[in-house]
Amino acid sequence: MGIDRLIKIFLVVFISLCIVNLTYGESIKIKYNSSIYSDDRGSGLRLPEGVACNDNILLIADTGNSRLLKYTIENGVLKGGAEIKIPELTFPQRVEIGASNEIFIFDGKLRKIARLSPDGKFKSYLSFEGSVVPKSFKIDRFGNIYVLDIFNERVLVLNQEGNQIRSIEFPERYGFISDLAIDPIGNVFLLDSTLAVIYIASKESKSFSPFKNGLNDYINFPSNITIDAKGVIYLSDLAGGTISVIGQDGTFRGHQSGYGWKEGLLRYPSQICINDKGDFFVADRENNRVQMFIVIR
Amino acid sequence: MLWKNKKQQTIKNILRFGLITFIFVSMIFLVSAYSQDKFKLKTGARGKLCLNCHVTFTDILKKSFVHTPVKTGECSVCHNPHASSYGKMLSDDTGKVCLKCHSQLISENARSVHKVALEGNCSLCHDPHASNNKFNLLKSGNELCFGCHKDINESVVKAKFKHPPVDKGCVSCHNPHASNKGVFLLKDTLPSLCLQCHKTDKPSFMNQHMNYPVAKANCSTCHNPHGSDKGGILFNNVHKPVSSKMCNQCHEEPTSQNPFRVKKVGFELCRGCHSNMVNNIFNKNRLHWPLLSKKGCLSCHSPHATTQNMLLKAPMITLCSECHSDTIKRQERSQTKHPPIQEGNCTVCHTPHADNNPFLFNNASIIDLCGTCHEWQKHSSHPIGEKFIDPRNKNLTVQCLSCHRSHGTENKYFIHFPTISELCTQCHVQFRR
Repeated sequence: MGIDRLIKIFLVVFISLCIVNLTYGESIKIKYNSSIYSDDRGSGLRLPEGVACNDNILLIADTGNSRLLKYTIENGVLKGGAEIKIPELTFPQRVEIGASNEIFIFDGKLRKIARLSPDGKFKSYLSFEGSVVPKSFKIDRFGNIYVLDIFNERVLVLNQEGNQIRSIEFPERYGFISDLAIDPIGNVFLLDSTLAVIYIASKESKSFSPFKNGLNDYINFPSNITIDAKGVIYLSDLAGGTISVIGQDGTFRGHQSGYGWKEGLLRYPSQICINDKGDFFVADRENNRVQMFIVIR
Repeated sequence: MLWKNKKQQTIKNILRFGLITFIFVSMIFLVSAYSQDKFKLKTGARGKLCLNCHVTFTDILKKSFVHTPVKTGECSVCHNPHASSYGKMLSDDTGKVCLKCHSQLISENARSVHKVALEGNCSLCHDPHASNNKFNLLKSGNELCFGCHKDINESVVKAKFKHPPVDKGCVSCHNPHASNKGVFLLKDTLPSLCLQCHKTDKPSFMNQHMNYPVAKANCSTCHNPHGSDKGGILFNNVHKPVSSKMCNQCHEEPTSQNPFRVKKVGFELCRGCHSNMVNNIFNKNRLHWPLLSKKGCLSCHSPHATTQNMLLKAPMITLCSECHSDTIKRQERSQTKHPPIQEGNCTVCHTPHADNNPFLFNNASIIDLCGTCHEWQKHSSHPIGEKFIDPRNKNLTVQCLSCHRSHGTENKYFIHFPTISELCTQCHVQFRR
């Protein structure tokens, strides 16, 4: 065997190992960046539960004040903080940014999902056939809307126009499903808060199967689930005050942050969002603020 | 010829019997020889030798039921005569010693197992040497079971309407060690077990059950098998439609194809009668979400009858911990206990259905909520209230939960930090050493 051939083999092995490491073995940390305590007029946040972001915009569901706040993200710095307050919005708990920067909000009191124009004008509520009780929702990269319908034990998938495309039944013998998330390749994940289990349904599947069991060894009460562009799963542990990281292969990759009052710490964290630049936002409910972190890989 | 055949048959039978007896005696001899040989005992020096010192055993051996190894003097089957790492000089852990001979008691497919048997605490029920009760039981009949299951004994004694099999003995319905079929060690599944005594095709039975085909239902969703104060041994707290025999208020008619199917799903069914309550819930900002799941109100309540007030499915602490086990466990780990949680009364602080406050607190002000029990803290305490900004976070004011976690922490007085000074210097940083 020639020296060239040996070098080639070495390079192939080295690159493969690097890819495997980057995909599955990379260490993920979140580093504290800044906190948002108020809007652009200095009015303080109150029990915020929702955050949504893309590379340029951050939206906050300031739940206790029945309003949304809109910020722009420029080179990792937040600007603005204009209030969006409309009568159709009584208790915004979760927020998402749809295709064409439309704003979608889940109102926990009305149990409805409102659709707003990018500048915050009310357009409509999503309408469903029969009795539907949404608990949460997510929007994928194509603008499809995934609604967690706890009354009928299913996930409803709607297209951009709000028409139902399909539905996926909840798994058997679940505890209580609090949230859902969609990964970049279209897999749907469910978070069971009481059994501390994550379920998965592949893109075309009509049912869920367990993806990660036994999370209660690590987590107190997971309440929100988010997936980044690389497929890494982040869970906010409501009672534990931490962010738990789960790898694409389902391995537990540790806790980030912790329970507390000081900046960088969390008390009863709620919705999380991550943009493609690695900006990471958490609605830090009981600390009346939203915190910004940077994902470090 | 016939006589000859009979004679041959008799000889064959005698030989057969002789052979079986020989094998049996040989086995006993081998076992005893093994245990004798194991400890190199002199011939005949078995139980008798032990009795030289353990003189009280002479009386024990007079009891009606003597454990076979004791009877045959095989003390060393269970005990090591020289030294042991286990109590009572046993040759192994208590349970394991028993399982050497009684390994068949708990099958691998058991649906329910008696905790005592599973943990090998056989001597909690049985005397390993001898007893005047069958199966070497420490006490006879229900007296033994009620030694541990005191709450059931209490309810059985108090019950106005008795279930006769209970007086006959718990073993009428339960297997003492394990059951392959039923939960709670029941000998069979429900209703099969009940149907062994109750004839469901009798007109009086059908009439009592409003002609619903209850032979296919689970009797224990309405009836207390241990007796109750309600007629028909219904559980003491009965849902009004059940007590007024208005099953069709919620279920389809008994003559329909699916008589047990409910007329509406989830909370929508209950709303028919409890409309004020449901409307009130929907006027609140925060909901207890299981209420709106498919199970709806039945997530926490029994639709028919139960032992608990408010028709709760189980005692409140048990019920709440089914979902919020982390919170209940935190209290269990906590050095200082919060009495409402310890007493299982979660609704002292939380509204179970819906409220406007976080954590479904039943008071918008944490200080007022805590003050309902800790009244003096409201006027003679560290400065707390809306006027006092938390130095750690400009969006928070100082209140009880600034220092305490109501479900407990690993620290005394359920404070957030291990020491008082560490807690205080979180805000009073100038005093930090």
